[in-house]
Amino acid sequence: MDELRMTDQKIWPPRFRKWSRRERDNFKIGMLFLLPWTIGFLVFTLYPMLASLVYSFAVYHARQPLEWVGLKNYIDLFQDDLFWTALYNTLYMVVIGVPLTLLASFFCAILLNLKVRGQAFYRVVYFLPSIVPTVASTILWLWILNPQAGILNTVLGYIGIHGPNWMSNPAWSKPGLIMLGLWGMGNTIIIYLSGLQDVSVSLLEAAELDGANWWQRLWHVTVPMVSPITLFNLITGVIAMFQYFAQAYVFRGFQNLGYPLNSTLFYSVLLYQNAFQWLKMGYASAMAWVLFIIILVCTLLLLKISDKFTYYAG
Amino acid sequence: MTTIPAQYPDPRLTQTEESRQRARRKNVRNFFKSLFSHALISFFGLFFLVPFLWMLITAFKSNEDVFHTPPRWLPYDNVRVEVNGQELPLYNVITPQGEKQLAAVKIVEGVGTFVDPQHPDRVVEYEIQQGETKIATPVMHVSFRWQNFPDAMNRASRPSVDASFWVYFKNSLIIAFFTIVGTLLSNAPVAYAFARLKFPGRDILFVIVLATMMLPYQVTMIPLYLFFNNFLHWGDTFLPIIVPAFFANAYDVFLLRQFFRTIPEEMCDAARVDGASEWQIFTQLVIPLSVPVLATVTVFTFLWAWNDFTGPLLFLTSPKNFTMALGLQDFQSQRTLVWNQLMAAATVFTIPIVVAFFFAQKTFIQGIKLTGSKE
Amino acid sequence: MKKLFSLLSILMIASLLLSACGTQAPASSEPKVLRVWIQWGDNPQQIQTLFDKYTAETGIKVEVTAPLEVDKILPALTGSEPPDILVLSGGDLVKSYYKEGLVDELSPAIKSGSIDLTDFFDAPLQQCKMGDKILCLPWGSDMYALFWNKDLFEAAGLDPNTPPATMEQLAEFSDKLTKVNPDGTLEQIGFLPDQGWGHSELYTNMFGGFWYNEDGTKITANTQPVIDALKWEQQFYTKYGVDNVMAFSSGWADAYMSGDYPFYTGKLAMYVDGEWMTGPNFISKFKPEASYGVAAFPPPADHPERANTGVASGTVAVIPSGAADKEASAKLLAWMMSPAIVAEEFCFNANLPTSKKAAEDPCFTSNPKFKVFMDLMANPNAKVVVTTPISLEFNDAWTLLEEQVLHTGADPQPLLEKLQADFEPKLAESLK
Repeated sequence: MDELRMTDQKIWPPRFRKWSRRERDNFKIGMLFLLPWTIGFLVFTLYPMLASLVYSFAVYHARQPLEWVGLKNYIDLFQDDLFWTALYNTLYMVVIGVPLTLLASFFCAILLNLKVRGQAFYRVVYFLPSIVPTVASTILWLWILNPQAGILNTVLGYIGIHGPNWMSNPAWSKPGLIMLGLWGMGNTIIIYLSGLQDVSVSLLEAAELDGANWWQRLWHVTVPMVSPITLFNLITGVIAMFQYFAQAYVFRGFQNLGYPLNSTLFYSVLLYQNAFQWLKMGYASAMAWVLFIIILVCTLLLLKISDKFTYYAG
Repeated sequence: MTTIPAQYPDPRLTQTEESRQRARRKNVRNFFKSLFSHALISFFGLFFLVPFLWMLITAFKSNEDVFHTPPRWLPYDNVRVEVNGQELPLYNVITPQGEKQLAAVKIVEGVGTFVDPQHPDRVVEYEIQQGETKIATPVMHVSFRWQNFPDAMNRASRPSVDASFWVYFKNSLIIAFFTIVGTLLSNAPVAYAFARLKFPGRDILFVIVLATMMLPYQVTMIPLYLFFNNFLHWGDTFLPIIVPAFFANAYDVFLLRQFFRTIPEEMCDAARVDGASEWQIFTQLVIPLSVPVLATVTVFTFLWAWNDFTGPLLFLTSPKNFTMALGLQDFQSQRTLVWNQLMAAATVFTIPIVVAFFFAQKTFIQGIKLTGSKE
Repeated sequence: MKKLFSLLSILMIASLLLSACGTQAPASSEPKVLRVWIQWGDNPQQIQTLFDKYTAETGIKVEVTAPLEVDKILPALTGSEPPDILVLSGGDLVKSYYKEGLVDELSPAIKSGSIDLTDFFDAPLQQCKMGDKILCLPWGSDMYALFWNKDLFEAAGLDPNTPPATMEQLAEFSDKLTKVNPDGTLEQIGFLPDQGWGHSELYTNMFGGFWYNEDGTKITANTQPVIDALKWEQQFYTKYGVDNVMAFSSGWADAYMSGDYPFYTGKLAMYVDGEWMTGPNFISKFKPEASYGVAAFPPPADHPERANTGVASGTVAVIPSGAADKEASAKLLAWMMSPAIVAEEFCFNANLPTSKKAAEDPCFTSNPKFKVFMDLMANPNAKVVVTTPISLEFNDAWTLLEEQVLHTGADPQPLLEKLQADFEPKLAESLK
């Protein structure tokens, strides 16, 4: 994110003037190197963006001509109960799932940073689930959460807790998915771990000399030192969570999308359903643009708020 | 540190009883501290380890054992005995002469035909459910059912259209291979231009590259679907998944650029003075120095391509073109849910990545750190 | 690196050439392979063997893909490579597909293949008609009836050979057949109205209505028969405790094709299912020792004349609009509809034959349990699932409503009002 700041100053405000011959040559060479990206950007990003913007103002079914309807899709969207359900479900995951994952990852990273023998083995154990392919891990968790023959409710039974119906109770389906996410948070743990290893030892020792206990050192030294990492994980986590799809798609088994009771009908799932099951491609495009705007606003908001809380060393 | 480490006693002090005691106390304290740490790490480690093991255990369970409640931590199977040249399942049967172990020949319409393994000529028939009591229950023993793996392959397969599990596996490999080739070829020059070339417009273009990271796939998904299907007629081929990889992407450009910037500028300048073109500097100087980061990109692209579900879901429609991810989901969505075979299939799906991880552990970890680093 | 780049260029050129060849492949040449997609199919090998006969007769190779998830079908229809013939599990989405321009009207195919429409049973054919257009042809049909576990009847002191005679009596039987553990959880349940999937079309018809009017021009969701049916279904959840039933029955659907299905393990005494259960691929395969009975679902006590009402649904064949060679598709369709082929396929799968001539085959009449379903289809009370062009979206909304009513105990009436209000304009729009 530093990058953004740094380059921002260089390019803004733009200065217009005639290029020198040397600059023109450099530009040509530069653009030759950039050719793959330029073509990709035009064909696979810019064109589809504009096309979906156009579709979003039309009724469009794949095999029939486009019918211009102005803002109707957007107006319908805000009156669509399913839209609000999907938005609520997604925000639930963003507001509860993402911070919980960060907190748990940070905690695990602290554990894995303790000076004990065999730490390399423990790190592999914590990391391994994150490389299990999404479809496989989701199916595995469906099996673990099975209320009769699943091990989670069996283990809960050992300590006298009667486990819920994770997949068929709408109150428990999202917590089940969050747990699936926690199981695969190895990436985030590693990022935190590398951050912890970078925390300056002299600073921690100085704090200890000043009489700070373990908790105070953690809260006043370590947490601020890793705050840029937290911001990075938070932003990437939020962006990814707004696009949460594959897990929810697999999780419902052969039930309809959103089962149980639309509690796993996330934004991207509803969008997929509109586009490819109900063939309302114009409507789905409008949904996509609303999603884009939500993600944009959230990211900028997080960057803005984080200015106060993020500490950049050096 | 305020206390003097025990193994380096201050030579000015004689080993007093007090200091020895202090050292011992510290050792004891360290021992408990380390024990506590191990306990803590292991306890939370169970959350990561047990589901993984459960996948393996279930993959080896027999059909009779899968739905056993409460679940058993080891795979069990029906004991089989050979009677008259046939492998038959062994049952505990409550006969009028008391409980006996008999082999079941067949069970039809609630009536079981049993044979005594000791006396292969004695065949008896019993009604299995007599009122409230079940008079025949299978005899189980711990046994790993390897047969689940070939069974899973057959089950997930659709022989009539040449779509077996191995075909899904092969499809995933083909897609992963070309995606890796495309990613390596297209991202490196772009990243080099952003890292080391100076030309007008570079920085604004780089901001656009970074901005595309925020663009959700959903925005481009529908037009791309229509473009590939109805314009290029690439429906039900690998091309819509592979071809975009040949045109660079923001994440890899960013990752490679970060690495290229760490290569000393002076080296490139020296080459320039010697009359090398930018292309020569890039291919003959920068690329050979970048093997570790290219390995990271390779590993991550493999991981991503192997894992990808949405792309294949949108573009691959006939089973013979499915990838592992799609094939597994397809298998699971059929009403024939057999968890042991499903877990066997999931294990087969996961193995290549675990193998890749153990061969390239450093590369994995390095890559994650690179993507997460703020600089 | 240079080598890599030349490799790249070769690959790019090759892929472009390949795709170019793909698009320019002339449609006029003799079709190499006809692709048939079938949504159901527990034994794809058998279906392939059946279609191999067509290859033997005509020399045209047929490639069968089955079973398919519903989500995979639409992308194929909208995509550039649709199958030549698509066989759907039900006719409920055909009108939606037609409206979206995804499937063809079949009159030309019926004419060119000289398919005899009088040979079809009326109820299944009805679901393919939109006005005077025929959008699909039924290929095997389904009816639903009541299954009961005789052992559990006996244990509960009921006559194992007498199923409930009315819907009210069914509820009484269910109470007797439901067992509660000391801790309040269920040990056995008498009846579950939506076991496997919803059966509201059967119950609403028993109460004398449906959520569309007869010709599918109006939505009648908020009418008494629909409300009555949902309330009748709901009682089996509310009486035994919604959470209890949900906890008890969760995961049951997973076991549909295994010996752990609750009906076999004695956890469920009565439920509604289709004719295929009586065939060789289900009960006699997964639980040969099960002792069970099958009878037509009972009518409500005050409407005995509705006895033997069944709702036909089931497999239909369509020709996708994007199919490469429509003439070849039509020929294959005609072959599929011939009585001999219908008889062979549906004897094997134990589904109801849609051809009257095929129905004379002894394999459909010899099994008394299967005959229950044959009689339901031939009965004048036989109804059909009414469908409309908005079924695609409506069905998902209905599934959700059913879930809300049954699985949370919600009052059906306000939900139905909302459903009515939401979809009335959509239906009007689609029929314009």
